[in-house]
Amino acid sequence: MVTDSALKDETGTPDPIRLARRLERPAPTTVKDSRGYKVFTVINVVVLLGVMAITLYPFANIIAQSFSSEGFINAGQVNLVPRGFNIETYRTVMADNMFWINYRNTVVYTVVATVIAMVLTTTYAYAISKKNLRGRNFFIMVAVFTMFFNGGLIPNYVLINAIGFTNTIWAIVIPNAISVFNLLVMKAFFENMPEELEEAAAIDGLGTYRTLLRIVLPLSKAVIATMVLFYAVSFWNSWFQAFLYLDDARLYPVTVYLRNLIAGATTATSVAGGSSDGMTQVASNIQSVTMVLTVLPIICLYPFIQKYFVSGVMLGSVKG
Amino acid sequence: MTTTRRRLAAGATAGVLALGLVACTSEEEGSVDGPDAEELDGLDVGAMEEFGVGDTFVATEPVEIEVLYRDHPNYPLDEEWLFFEHLAETNNVTFDLTTAPLSDWDQRKGVLIGAGDAPDVISVTYPGQEAQFVASGAILPISDYVDLMPHYQDRVEQWGLEEEIDTLRQEDGKYYLLPGVYEELRYDYTIGMRTDILDELGLEEPQTWDDFADTLAAVKDHEGTQYAMSDRWEGLALMNFASASFGTVAGWGYGDGTVFDHDAGEYVYAGATDEYRDLVEYFTGLVEEGLLDPESFTQDDDQAIAKLINEQSFAITTNSQELIGHRTSMDETLGEGTYELMKIRAPEGPAGDVMGGLRIENGFMISSGAAEKENFVATLQFLDWLFYSDEGLEFARWGVEGETYEKDADGTRTLAADVDFLGQNPEGTTNLQTDYGFFNGVFSLAHGSTTDLVRTHISEEEVEWQEAMSSKEQAPLDPPAPLDEIEREQASLYQTALADYVTQNTLAFITGQRDLSEWDEYVSELEGQNMQAFVDIMNTAYERFQEDNA
Repeated sequence: MVTDSALKDETGTPDPIRLARRLERPAPTTVKDSRGYKVFTVINVVVLLGVMAITLYPFANIIAQSFSSEGFINAGQVNLVPRGFNIETYRTVMADNMFWINYRNTVVYTVVATVIAMVLTTTYAYAISKKNLRGRNFFIMVAVFTMFFNGGLIPNYVLINAIGFTNTIWAIVIPNAISVFNLLVMKAFFENMPEELEEAAAIDGLGTYRTLLRIVLPLSKAVIATMVLFYAVSFWNSWFQAFLYLDDARLYPVTVYLRNLIAGATTATSVAGGSSDGMTQVASNIQSVTMVLTVLPIICLYPFIQKYFVSGVMLGSVKG
Repeated sequence: MTTTRRRLAAGATAGVLALGLVACTSEEEGSVDGPDAEELDGLDVGAMEEFGVGDTFVATEPVEIEVLYRDHPNYPLDEEWLFFEHLAETNNVTFDLTTAPLSDWDQRKGVLIGAGDAPDVISVTYPGQEAQFVASGAILPISDYVDLMPHYQDRVEQWGLEEEIDTLRQEDGKYYLLPGVYEELRYDYTIGMRTDILDELGLEEPQTWDDFADTLAAVKDHEGTQYAMSDRWEGLALMNFASASFGTVAGWGYGDGTVFDHDAGEYVYAGATDEYRDLVEYFTGLVEEGLLDPESFTQDDDQAIAKLINEQSFAITTNSQELIGHRTSMDETLGEGTYELMKIRAPEGPAGDVMGGLRIENGFMISSGAAEKENFVATLQFLDWLFYSDEGLEFARWGVEGETYEKDADGTRTLAADVDFLGQNPEGTTNLQTDYGFFNGVFSLAHGSTTDLVRTHISEEEVEWQEAMSSKEQAPLDPPAPLDEIEREQASLYQTALADYVTQNTLAFITGQRDLSEWDEYVSELEGQNMQAFVDIMNTAYERFQEDNA
């Protein structure tokens, strides 16, 4: 057995090289796991399975509810398996032409907004990550200032209206193009990039823009993937801009459509006492259907980007 | 040189003009009476010269009206609707609609008004919501212009709505909202009970709150459950409709917490009155005897409904819409025909067979800017026709005779063969609301206003219930006591703290956490929370309004 002390040098601090070697060496297959380690593994698995169940249950419950009838949902009898199987709500929502128009809008808004946001955030972050930039502090302050102060709802509306953005895609994709939080994460990431790389590029005759495009960006895939995910998810979920600046239902993203649908189902339409064909699948069922429908594409996207996710954010913040 | 001189002259002229304008404005502000002919000069393009009660509004030249339209997902806007087509052809009126979704309607409305960008007609606004916009000057004091609206005035006079309209008046004595009006008070909320169990026990529907307690006791005995009733809406709806029959306000209707003592002629604080105490005592009794689930005041609606559906409770506060929802659920879980869930006539209380409420409903506001447009008079005449005339109300609710409905000799309306609405004509392939645009919450106010129209399209059972309820007396209204800006700010500070304290203690009393013998202490605690100062503000405002508008 290699003891801890064997890894330490004379001063008592661990020798990094020997420690690394020790960690890299494949575990000898002959050594049996100690009893403590086995217990630990079992507890670990049990606890983590528990955590997984707690995390997954609400989602599974929502899916079950989305396929259940209102009666059983109201009676509180739907858990993991749909009861009173019904796909009427899915059918109604998906048969509505407006749903697809709005869904397409969401896709378009998300893609365009994410592209714009990424271009602006990356270039801004790259510029302010350079210590030799004149007026660097000013540009950082300008950005950070908006984290704490803003003009307020009505002035924003007046501004967007005055520059003619209302009822266009620009009202959705421009106002939130730079998220200061994301900007700062990216700035930190770029700051930690070895300067030598860029110096070498400069010696080889690359200018600022080509250095960014050819050297820096290819090395920043992790942070870029993370930022794309952050931006895409937030644009996908956003409804407030759309509701504020758009007057025409044909321009709404699907989030506003679904929000409105839920509002229609939960507000008593006070059509007193009539029989209610087709209107019985209300509230809870509609809510779960809309949740499933909006969340689905993001869930499909997650596994592909997730591997960059943690490393992306951590690279920017901790190292250095 | 010449240019300079010209500029100077132009500047001077502008100055004089501006002075003139200022003078004009201040003169106008002074006039409280209706607009005279001169003021409306140039604003009456398209308006009818003779327009009185019973006249159909037809614009003399095409009129386009800007409307902020609330888009309801149950009938998404379609500008091809027969509703629009018919108005364009017959009345020469078209619309320029700005739409906002139902989900965030109030916020959108607030932003548009705040940004000075609101269309001329701002639809679906509830009484009280207009107060926040008054100070900005963005909303027209419509009371100055009701002379132009003969049908509206006729309704107010015929149905005796003056007192209700008075509740809309702001500090300047004017009102800024035109409400939807009802001929008779319309109720919807009451207790839904498992009447099959009452039948089994040979019990009648309870008439008074005491009967109601006895009935619950009998049901509980028979079913052997933990309690007989478990309520939803945190008991606020129940307290609300019960409160008038105890002579006070509570729950959803608690409002600012003041009620007018008509004997003493002054405002008092509701939460400290004996009437409120009686109400609290009654519900405390129900909980003590195990008849009412103490969780009624804290649980989620879903839990309360689940208890009803799973037969753990047999009564719940409901409305006609919710009742149908419960029945659908119970059909599925208990089986159709194995139960009967009905609305009961709201019980009488110590204050008599009284129900609270107002005969005004959500209505619309007009932007100040509209009063400067050439179609102003025509717009008001049209709105008057659509929202207040018999013809307009019937059109907005039922559509076009011969196309969407038929009317026989004794006035009974039936939907046309191919038109369905709420399953009343299942053969129909089109829907009155979604395909034609009628019975639209934006254009058809107060369910049609007249009792005749209000009671159409609803089930017989509901008509019967409404008829039973209509023999109830309307609780006396509180007189107007509009606050000025500073008073409002001060009052809202007191009001919130007081209301929170009352809610908290009401709950404590009812669930038995605090004993009712501590009532006097509770009242003195309220006094410690500036109750008197608050009531004084209200009384000052009340007296001022009386003096100013004597």
